[in-house]
Amino acid sequence: MAILTRSAFASPGTSLDFKTGSWRTLRPIHNHRKAPCHDACPAGEDQQAWLAKLQENRVQEAWETLTDINPMPAVTGRVCPHPCETACNRGQFDKSIAIHSLERFLGDEAIKNGWEYPNVEPLLPDAPPMAVIGAGPAGLSAAYHLRRRGYSVTMFESLTEPGGLLRAAIPMTRLPRDVLDAELNRLFALGVDLRLRHRLGRDVSLDELRSHFGAVFLGIGCQKSREWSVGGAVPADLHEGLHLLKGWVDHLSMPEAERVIIHGGGNTAVDLCRIMKRKGAKEVHLITASGLPGPDTAPDDVINVVPRELEEALEEGVIIHPHATIQRLIMRGSKVVGVEMVSLRKLPGNGGRKARVSFEGTERVLNTDMVVPCIGEVVDPEGVADLLHGRSYLRPDDEWGRLDTANYEGLFVGGDARGDRGTVSAAIGDGRKAADAMDAYVRGLPGPESDDREVISFGQLNLNYFEHADRAKVTKVPPELRTDDTEIEGGLTGPLAYAEAARCFSCGNCLACDNCWTFCPDSAVIKTAEQASDGSYYLFDLDYCKGCGICASECPCGYIDMIPER
Amino acid sequence: MLEIKDAQRLAELRRKHGREAQADPAAPVAERPDIRRRQPRFCGLESGHRACQGCGEALGARLVTETAGPDVMIANATGCLEVFSTPWPESAWRVPWIHSLFENAAAVASGMEAAMKSQGKRTKVIAQGGDGGTFDIGFQALSGMLERYHNVLYVCYDNEAYMNTGIQRSGSTPHAASTTTSPSGSERMGKRHLKKNLLAIIAAHHVPYAASASVAYPVDIRRKVRRAMDVEGPTFLLIHSPCPLGWGHDGAMSIEIARLAVQTGLFPLVEFERGEVVSVMPIRQPKPVAEYLKNQNRFRHLFNDKDPRALEEREHLQALADYNIDIYGLRGDGPDVMDTDGVDTVRRGGPVQVM
Repeated sequence: MAILTRSAFASPGTSLDFKTGSWRTLRPIHNHRKAPCHDACPAGEDQQAWLAKLQENRVQEAWETLTDINPMPAVTGRVCPHPCETACNRGQFDKSIAIHSLERFLGDEAIKNGWEYPNVEPLLPDAPPMAVIGAGPAGLSAAYHLRRRGYSVTMFESLTEPGGLLRAAIPMTRLPRDVLDAELNRLFALGVDLRLRHRLGRDVSLDELRSHFGAVFLGIGCQKSREWSVGGAVPADLHEGLHLLKGWVDHLSMPEAERVIIHGGGNTAVDLCRIMKRKGAKEVHLITASGLPGPDTAPDDVINVVPRELEEALEEGVIIHPHATIQRLIMRGSKVVGVEMVSLRKLPGNGGRKARVSFEGTERVLNTDMVVPCIGEVVDPEGVADLLHGRSYLRPDDEWGRLDTANYEGLFVGGDARGDRGTVSAAIGDGRKAADAMDAYVRGLPGPESDDREVISFGQLNLNYFEHADRAKVTKVPPELRTDDTEIEGGLTGPLAYAEAARCFSCGNCLACDNCWTFCPDSAVIKTAEQASDGSYYLFDLDYCKGCGICASECPCGYIDMIPER
Repeated sequence: MLEIKDAQRLAELRRKHGREAQADPAAPVAERPDIRRRQPRFCGLESGHRACQGCGEALGARLVTETAGPDVMIANATGCLEVFSTPWPESAWRVPWIHSLFENAAAVASGMEAAMKSQGKRTKVIAQGGDGGTFDIGFQALSGMLERYHNVLYVCYDNEAYMNTGIQRSGSTPHAASTTTSPSGSERMGKRHLKKNLLAIIAAHHVPYAASASVAYPVDIRRKVRRAMDVEGPTFLLIHSPCPLGWGHDGAMSIEIARLAVQTGLFPLVEFERGEVVSVMPIRQPKPVAEYLKNQNRFRHLFNDKDPRALEEREHLQALADYNIDIYGLRGDGPDVMDTDGVDTVRRGGPVQVM
């Protein structure tokens, strides 16, 4: 202890010798929670991560972050039903971020500027080759992620061009083919050996593949239509929905009819409705057992269609009958002239399982020239009959797509063939997960680990630091000007895209906003010149942090937690 | 102690910036001064001071000194700030700093300013104190300093009672707040009298600049400090600084409570020049005062449903807030980037408003 004399004074900043950190009972930590968009994304993208890059105007880095997960953002930005936007915390504040428009923006920028995929490992010399069956979204994603990890990949596709349903069944009004081609060309330029016109079971057998390759991914989709009849009656001139759509996409053929009834509740059904309507049908009715989005409809009962597509269909005059089914076909000879429609609801029955209950007294008759079922497809058993075990789909044993591990090794499945998917994004996610698991399998390692971090909720954000801002609007071709092959929805241009990305709350991750640094009364938050190892831009100086918790309360993003001192 | 991981990170940063390597990357003491020194702001009030957890005054003083910069001298009144920043033989200050007595900070500052003037130097003098040393005890010295027109910035950190000596009521304690000398009980609901409108008294000295600010709005504090430093002549800042101990709230809530004081209208942020109100921070959507009161133990008695006086006093405080909103015209017309909701907006890279 120094002695206080006249003229004595303390030197500047000597209080640093006193470590107030010893007072602390709680300590601040950075806790990177999952953003809800990331959690909701079937493909597994971390939208918050690439939006953060976009906020810094690092467009190419944003695209590269995105393509760590999803190789085809220009496609998914157009066709995905964007559950990320439904989950977006900003939706509870004003309007959710237009994530799909930004994804498309990045995808289009990459095509325009000819960016190439980053982080592609050179081929590993002694790694076993991998086989991917089906060049649809699931197979493409699996091939991409395997190739990036350094595996040589051979891809088998029964058709003459790659793309699967993206090429065969998604209308050009939604996905222009030059966009699809650009993304596929970039992917195949990585050096994936693509064998077209090779059909599983006909040109190549599963056993052959299993003996030649280290692991096999089945992205074979559902190629066989579900059988459809109403009380045993089937019209003689029955056209099946997906078949019609494929024919139209391929060579613009579509049977003519004045009044059409389409039965089903997916994107195929809605796409078909809109094409029929544009082709000149006077009335197009969609009869679906699901409900339209709204306060009266449970989330699991909403029609499974890209929301903006549904909106556009209504704009174009498609008549939708939600919560209804066809109870009886009215036939004249073998030709259908009308249907009897009845209202129904999904209600919990015995044992808690929901069952469809139709209501007596709600029967109505609709006249029609044509009924088109769009009730879904099942796996074509050709070549995989042994794996189906009499079921309609190839259900994997776990989320990584391991298939029939009781009888086989090194078989993986993903995409529509699983039977519980139904979106391009989910197929892309399956492909990536299976690639991770295939990598672990051939290395003899335990499987990949799932990310069980907590999802950050709206209530964990500090909204005082955000302002309301309008969601970016995209252009749309008005209904009367829509044609068969021009894209309906427009994209965002640079300045609008940056403004839209700036709306992101950065849920659960560091926004580099300086709040913790500014508000710490003890100067115990140290700003770093660049990103610190935990992904933040700040360090806690625990020598002086008293543990007051102001940084945690005032962090706009819920990125700081206070935990008990050990 | 720093965790090893952080210490390694600090070493990494130091190497990146071309500083000589330290012997042991796990030695936090050797690491620390380097990264701390390189912070992109002036550190007038260092770490290691003994302020309580979540102290609003420590934050306010840090913001004022970092904005005023190194070319200043400070005269400090007695109070928490003086006690927690200078426990002999240590000092948390990195600028010349002197403490004499409770009542004479403004007089000492006047003398320092006169000495600077006679030496032909332009070093700005800052006098600072708490509300006790400003509203009550040092008031006549302050009034004299303003009247003699010294070129001094006086900053009052207003935590609304004598916190250093154990939470006694001051001229700044708000109506109905409970302190050790104005306890709530059968006779009274906390302090009987009203908070002194000091800013209006200062403004009546016809000084070139006097303003109120809040630690909840650092961007606003920085702008006001810069303005007050630029103006020649006596200037005054009143900074609302929550005291977790005296107000009875969790230290983590300090900013939230300071923000509510502004958003309810109980602590209006206004700027006076030559006695006239020249600017206010508009309130986008005034909040009910109960939201501000309910998280503070000094107002806890106002939420006793069995006592009819509780509601009456709550309504009284609401009326005082409404009065402020009315006479200062705090109600904004529509969202404004400079209002209570807009001015604290952040984006990647920092606050949106940089003034």
